[in-house]
Amino acid sequence: MTMQRLLTLPARAVWHALFWTFERATWQYDLMVIAILAFVWLTPPDWLGDPTASGPGLIGIILERLR
Amino acid sequence: MTFTGAIGAACMFPLRAIIRACVALRIHPNVLTLVGVFINFIAAWFFAQGEFVTAGFVMLVANIFDFIDGKVAEATNLASRFGGFWDSVMDRFSDLSLFIGVIYLYAQLGRTDYVMIAAFAMMFSVMTSYTRARAESMIDKCKVGFMERPERIVLVMIGAFTNRMGAVLWVILVLSIVTVLDRIYYTWRALKAQEAAS
Repeated sequence: MTMQRLLTLPARAVWHALFWTFERATWQYDLMVIAILAFVWLTPPDWLGDPTASGPGLIGIILERLR
Repeated sequence: MTFTGAIGAACMFPLRAIIRACVALRIHPNVLTLVGVFINFIAAWFFAQGEFVTAGFVMLVANIFDFIDGKVAEATNLASRFGGFWDSVMDRFSDLSLFIGVIYLYAQLGRTDYVMIAAFAMMFSVMTSYTRARAESMIDKCKVGFMERPERIVLVMIGAFTNRMGAVLWVILVLSIVTVLDRIYYTWRALKAQEAAS
């Protein structure tokens, strides 16, 4: 039994995300793109200290509403 | 069909018309590559001025040239090994110029933290290409890792159009580091397997 099979499913998912061997236009590629776009668009620019971005971002707006 | 596949297919409609026009006009693919680089220099200048949306549009035009050169070369039977080499070299000029534009802007704003983030993103973007090129001089193929040039270009355009360049640079930096490590690991494994077989 290989080391990879011994790993649990979440660990295997992380391994495949890091050691990327998937082609473009696969469902795994779509998932990665969604995760990246979510990070780019939802993270409040203040959290990253973005020098040029304006507006709080979606998470920032939600947090402001919750306060 | 996946959603990224659908976006790719939709983008191919206008691109096919541009490719047909270039073929009809007998424009040499190496000229298209060079024009793309010069347009990318203009995009870099707009980045340096902090005009992200304009830079994004200019990048869009530049990358049309970048995308169609190979297709025009095939359609006109002008595909050559030198053309492939020329394309790769010009791609590096384009990539580096865009990063230099962003670095200049952050330096002007006095943000040394983002100067460093952009500089490291630039370094690992170059290393992403270099590790594959060097690996493929020893092994058959080294196409592993997510953050390749098309992903990088699309991400920079998304950052420019939506004014989220900081987040985009972080993504490019982290995933480029991972991609370089993937390629080093993959090449090490492939070379070990070759040695074991011989």
